[in-house]
This record gives sequence, C-alpha cells and structure tokens, in this order.
Amino acid sequence: MSPVVTAPGLRHRYVFTRVDFRPMRDVDDQLVGRSGREGGRGRVGGMSEFVLSGHGLVKRFGPAVALAGVDVGIGRAEALAIMGPSGSGKSTLLHCLAGIMKPDSGEVRLLGERIDTMGERDRSTLRRTRFGFVFQFGQLLPELPADENVALPLMLGGMTRGRAVQEARAWFGPLGLGGMEGRRPGELSGGQAQRVAIARALVTRPAVIFADEPTGALDQATGHEIMRILVEATKHNGASLVVVTHDPEVARWCDRVVEVRDGMILAPGRRQDHIRALSGGNA
Amino acid sequence: MRNLLELSWRLLRGGGRQSMLGTGLTAAAVAISSALLVFALAANVAFAARADREAWRNPVEAKGTPVAIEATAKDYVRDRIITVVDVAPLRYAPGVRPPGTDRMPRPGEVWVSPGLAELMRELPAEQLAARFPGKVAGTIGDDGLLFPDELVAVVGRTAADPAMAASRADHPLTSTPPTKISDFAGRAGDETVVYQIMALIASVLMVVPLLVFGGAAARLTVARRDQRLAALRLVGATPWQVVMMTVAEAVITAFGGAVLGLVLYGAAVPLLSRIEMADGSWFAADLWPGILPVLGVLLAVPLLVGLSAVIGLRRVVVSPLGVAKRETPPAMRFVRVVALFVILIAVPLSFRGTSTTVVAGVLGLAFLGVNLVGPWVVGVIGRITTRTARRPARLLAGRRLVDDPKSAWRTVSGVALTGFIAGFVGLLSPSSDLLGGPPSTAGLRLVVPDAQAAALAEQAGERLSGAGIDAHVKTSGRPESGRAKERTLTISLPPGDGYTMRIDTARTALAGLVPGHVATSPMDDQWQGIRLLDDVRTGTLVVLGVSFLVAIASAGITAASSVLDRRQAYALLRLAGTPLEVLDRARRTETLVPLAVMGGGSILIGMFCASPFVYAAMSVSGAVTLLTSVAVGFAGVLGAGALSRPLLRSVTANPAPRPD
Repeated sequence: MSPVVTAPGLRHRYVFTRVDFRPMRDVDDQLVGRSGREGGRGRVGGMSEFVLSGHGLVKRFGPAVALAGVDVGIGRAEALAIMGPSGSGKSTLLHCLAGIMKPDSGEVRLLGERIDTMGERDRSTLRRTRFGFVFQFGQLLPELPADENVALPLMLGGMTRGRAVQEARAWFGPLGLGGMEGRRPGELSGGQAQRVAIARALVTRPAVIFADEPTGALDQATGHEIMRILVEATKHNGASLVVVTHDPEVARWCDRVVEVRDGMILAPGRRQDHIRALSGGNA
Repeated sequence: MRNLLELSWRLLRGGGRQSMLGTGLTAAAVAISSALLVFALAANVAFAARADREAWRNPVEAKGTPVAIEATAKDYVRDRIITVVDVAPLRYAPGVRPPGTDRMPRPGEVWVSPGLAELMRELPAEQLAARFPGKVAGTIGDDGLLFPDELVAVVGRTAADPAMAASRADHPLTSTPPTKISDFAGRAGDETVVYQIMALIASVLMVVPLLVFGGAAARLTVARRDQRLAALRLVGATPWQVVMMTVAEAVITAFGGAVLGLVLYGAAVPLLSRIEMADGSWFAADLWPGILPVLGVLLAVPLLVGLSAVIGLRRVVVSPLGVAKRETPPAMRFVRVVALFVILIAVPLSFRGTSTTVVAGVLGLAFLGVNLVGPWVVGVIGRITTRTARRPARLLAGRRLVDDPKSAWRTVSGVALTGFIAGFVGLLSPSSDLLGGPPSTAGLRLVVPDAQAAALAEQAGERLSGAGIDAHVKTSGRPESGRAKERTLTISLPPGDGYTMRIDTARTALAGLVPGHVATSPMDDQWQGIRLLDDVRTGTLVVLGVSFLVAIASAGITAASSVLDRRQAYALLRLAGTPLEVLDRARRTETLVPLAVMGGGSILIGMFCASPFVYAAMSVSGAVTLLTSVAVGFAGVLGAGALSRPLLRSVTANPAPRPD
C-alpha cells in the first residue's frame, strides 16, 4: 500500500492543503508510480538494495506536520539530493534518516536493520560510526587544529591519538588540504573549512554521508568545488551521499533528486528531468 | 546620545534569551564581586572600629592635670577572658568617663558588660562574682565593648588602693600598669594594629582575584557582543557610537549587578558577624563599611566594568571585520615571567619603610605580578595536557586551556593566591590541646613579692581551704632570674571531676591576694599566642572561602558562557554522534586540571614551607580543617561547572542549530 495510508489523518490535511496546487489523484499516481519504477519496494526483498531507507515516515512538531508519510531509499554509492524550499520538511527528513530524530511513525533501516527503534545512546554511536555529517558551517571546534578536528571521531571511537591523527592527516593531501594540518578553523577559508569537514565526515569510513546545505555559506565557484570533492570522495570510498539543499546547482551534482513539499515527496524523477523542471526548462 | 542609549537599551532587552542570559551572567558576576569587595572593605573598617573602641583600655599618661588613675589586667573564667579595668578617680571632671558608662565609677562600684553580668548570674558567686568586690552600679554599653558578648569589668577604686600602685609586671603583655590619665581616649593597642595589618593583607588577597574576575566577566560578555557590534560597524556606526553603546550597556548591567551585590552583602551580614576574631563575633554595625565606601563601590565597579568593556572592544573598533575571523591567539609571552621578576626586584628597592600602606602596596603589586604570570603558567599546563592527552576529552580541555588561558586563570587565581598561605597556616597553627598540655596537672601560678612569699603562701592555702578547695601550694625556691624580687606560688589541684569549677573557685578565692596580680594557669599564659594563630587560621579560612566563592562563581559563569559561545559546534558535534559526556568531561577537565595544579600546588608549597617550623607534632585539626575546606571548595567549583550541564543539553538538543 501507499505509505500515505499509514497516516490517514494526515492525508486529509495533505488533500486540503494541496488541492488547489495539484490534483490528489496525480500525487497518488506519482507515489505509486515511483514505487513501480524503483521496483521491488516490497519490504522484504527490495529494501536490501538500499543502504538506507525510510518508509512511511511521519513527523509532527505540535500541530505542524513536517513529514506526512515519506518513502525514500538510497542505494550504495549513490548521491541523492533532497530538495525543497524552507519549511518543506527536507531537513526533518534528513534528521530522521540520520537517526538524529525518531519519526512519529514509519521506519528507517540501515542495511536492513531498523535504526529508528534504537535508544538515543545507540543512535548516537551509530551516527558516530556509520554516518558522516557535513553542515553549512560552524561544525569544527575552533580550538582544535584541523588535523585534530578530523581525528576527533576516531579518538571518540577509541583509537589512540597518534594513530587517529596519522589517519586524519592522510585525508589532507587528496582533499587538497596539504599543509593545512596545523591550522585552526579560524585560519581556514570557508572552502577549506568545508573540506576539513568532509575529511572528518569520511574519516570513520561511514556507510552514508549526510550533508545539510554543505555549500550554503560559500560562493558559487567554491560551492561547485566543494560539491565535486564531496561527491567524488564519498563515492570513491564506497559511501552513499544524502544532500539536503534548496539549490538546483548543488542538486545537479547528485545522481538522483527528490523534492519535498509540505512533508511529502513531491516528484520522483531523474536528476536531469528534475533540474530542467526546476530551472524552468533551461537546464 | 539619547538615541544611542535608547538603542543600547533596546539591544540589551531584545537580544533574545541567550543574550539576556549572557547579560545576566555578567550581572551575577559583578554582584558577587561587589558583595565580596564590600566585604573586603568592611573587614578593614570593622577592625578599625574595634581598635577605636579598644583604645580606652590602653591608658596614655596625662599631659595636664590627671583626673583618674587607670590600670588593666586580664582575668580568666572557664575558657574565657575577662578584661578588668581598674579606675581610681582623682578629681571631678565633667564628661570624662569610660566609654559605655555614663559616669566615672566611684570607689566600691563595679560596672560590668552584659555578657559578664549574665555569666555572673549563671555561675556560683564563689566562682566568679566574688572576684569583684563592691556593688554592680551599671552595665557597660556597646561603646565600650569590642564585640557583643565581651566580658569586661570596670572596677572603681580609691587612689590609695594597693591595686592602683602595683606595677602589674606579672603579665606585662596582657596588662597595663596604673597610669594617670586626663581622659579615656587612650591609644590603639599593639595587638589591634597587628590585626589591622592582617585584615589589610587579607583584603588585598581577596581584592586582587575579585578585580581579575569582575573585569574579565565584563569582557566576556563583550566578546559575545562582538559580532553584533561589528555588524553595527558594517552598517556605518562610528567607532565612537559603538564604544558608547557598549559602555552604556556594560555600565547599566554592572550598576544593576553592583546594587544587587550590596543587597547580597547586606543579607550576608548576620552570618558574617558570627565569624569569631580575637575571641568574639562582631557588632552588625561594625560590618557596615560606611556610606562613602559603599558609594565608591557603586561608582567604581560600573566604571571599571565599562573600562574593561572598552578594552575588550578595541578589536571591533579597529576593524569591522576584526571579529569575524577567529585566529590562533598569540601565545602567552615569556615576557610575563620577566615582568614578575622585575616587580619582585624593583618593588622592595623602590619602597622603603614598613608602614601598613607600604606593606599592602608591596603585597598588592606582588599579587598583580603573580597575576601576570598566572595565565602563562595555565598556558604551559594546557600545552602539557594537550601533549599528553590520549582521550578526546583531555585533548579538548588542553586545547581550550592553550586557547584561552586567561579564562582558566580567572577561575583558579584566588585559590592559587590564597593556597600558599592556607597551606602554611593550616599546617602550622596549633590546636589548643597541642600547646596547653593536659590541663588536669596544670594548676595555677601566682607571682608574689619575695619578701612576703611565705606569708602569702600561707594566706593562699587558708583562702583555698576556706573555699573548700583541696589544693597544694608550693613556693618557688629562689627569685626567678630577671624578676629579682618576685617568687611564684604554684597551686596544684588534683585532677578529676569538676576541675574547671574548682579552678575558677580557686581563682576567685585568690583574687586580690596580691593587689594587681592575677592567678593564671599555663593555658591562660599561652592564650595570646594561641589566639593569634587561631585567628590567622580563621582569617585564612575566610580568605580561602572567598577565593573559592570567586572560583565557584567564575567556574559557573565561565562554563555557561563557554557553552553559549560554542553552542553551534557542540550541537553539531552532538548531532554527529559525539556523546554529551565527552563534551562534559572536557569542560570538567578544563577547570580541574589548572585548579589541581595551581591551587593544589600552591597549598602543597605552603605546607612544604611550613614544615621546618613544625617541631613536635603537626597541627592535625588545622590540616583537617584545611583539607576539608579545600575538598568543599573543589567540589563547589566542579558543581558550579556541572550546573551548566542542562544548558549544554538544551543548546545541543536543538536538532537544527542555526547561528544566531
């Protein structure tokens, strides 16, 4: 069944709010259609092809509905862009997928295992070991030099400091950060700081990297550069990438784009089609 | 100007919860600083007031026609001291009277303090009241007393009374010989001068960390406002306007804090007045520092905070972008250490003399010197911690110490400055049982003239047996060296039940046997030395308590503000799976390491320096008291840091942190 059914009350709300925008019929068709296209979304067999998947995700904040029944899956070494305007629920979706929040209903699976039912401590460990995060800015601790910022997750995992820093430094050259190891975050440019953040996200060799507006604080040229590095480095390490953004230019770097509107996945589609649609057919 | 003030006020109020919290923290820091500052001032005023009220008991030889003869002595009951002032009027002089009385005592009259009057009622007459022949004519008022419960007797005598002729050389330190006086103005006693110097030293010890703490607290808030003010600069506010707004905001906050501090101090006075110094607690009025010092604090504290804010703002004013970037702070230069040595060498050379002000000045400068070196040492500790860190929490803590050694120094400075003295005194000050020996074999001693020794010994025996006391009176064999014409009667009392009562009965029975002489126990004779060391210990504990209070407040405020300053990084780290405990442990380590190294280190050095002076046995009770207070202090500092844990939890719980 369509995941919308898991929250019948919400569906009503959805109908009310969306009816003047797009016929309900259409949306349902698309959701069903997507299930069809992606194929084998059956719970048992199909999930296994996704590294990470969310099914029927519903999240409410008081009266506000952030997620109204979302299905989404990320394949191995796939880059998925989650797009949508402010308040669409895209960040909430990322937070649910990453085990930062628990959805009110629905389930999140990592390599077939439920992670939404885990306790905070376990989810915390999971985030540290299996996921990596890149945020807009401000994620580096100002008092630690760059290499120790990168080594921090390894040390938290119990690695000795010497080895952790050594492993961390191995990331600097490939990411174009050679010679920046001892610099403080305050002494790095925005792009350099983001590259350090990418190194920190990848250093534990996670299954999935989550990036929340990773270029939001950068100029366009630097933003492109960071997206290229992010996508390449992630794939090179066999990890999957989930990017939340409102910027089509950023989404362009990903294999697949889903758009969230009012807490629902709006339109499936391949990257090119979607970007063309978003940029008024000029892309 | 009015627009600027209005805008400052609006920014202050409308800055959001976290900005208000920052302002609140500064106000709290200023309040605690002001309260303790007033206390440091009041302590001096209080000792001065005591010295003034004590002066009449140190008679000064009359220049003109004398109006009376005055002599003093100490007597003892139970474990307390009675000050006995003998007064023999010579001629009528209107208005001349001992303070606290309303007229010159007539021969045969006794005036007693309320405390003594009560004790005379409580105890059987043969143990106390019978020592003061004559009728009780009145009660000595507060003007004549050092502290509320003091035991004082003013005994009126005739000028021909043998007591008014005796030299009182038996206890030269605690008595004054008969002196012809023209009034009761007197002069400050030697002992009160010692106490005043000690109070001044204690004040300096308290004030230096307070100023460090108060000033830094102001800069701390400014640091958080930096960004907003830089934004104002970017939209075209002139440097002057930015400075004025900041100063206005800081001064408003600080004034509020200072007023709150005064209220806090007022509320604490009943408690503070119970601290015993020189055998007694305090009149609440003694602890009121006076209107001028209070006004001074109310004016000076906001001014200092404003000044401190301006210093903190220099960077913003220099460049609007100056605060947008965070760079590696310049390392604490070794120059600081050099500066300390320069101060230590130059100060004794340039100041000569030993007046109180010079002592305080030198001491203050020395502490300011230590204060210069403190952050440098914290930086070194931070580097060592960083280098040796294996776990993330220690690494974070070490880096934080290197990053901002001044903030850590702010927390530990007071304890580090006081620690040395605390360690020294804690080990050195004797417990009373250590010096006195077992009192059961001590008995009493009475110095008698050589010529009458035999007769007086016999009389003493008669008096004692008349009072029902089983005692053995022994006369010392030959005149003691230096006191050629005197001998000592030793009165031994068998130990056992009611010993102290029998001793007091014996004292009472022997009162007046030798005019002007008092029978004392070895314990009584050591009383002055014990009291002084006890008081030094009490004073050290008070200063240590204040230092720990500053450390606790500072730790709490530093912890909270560091959480606020780093809320974004902390929140994102927590999102990325960093356990809250690691962040928390880092914050704990950041305070505990410098506190243990510098505070603990200075206490140990103090103890080490005191060890050569500890002859027979260590002062166990002193060491225990010290260790207990240190443990309580450390726990308090850690507890204050832990208070911001909910804050850490709440700022990191926000799943979508955005910069302000």
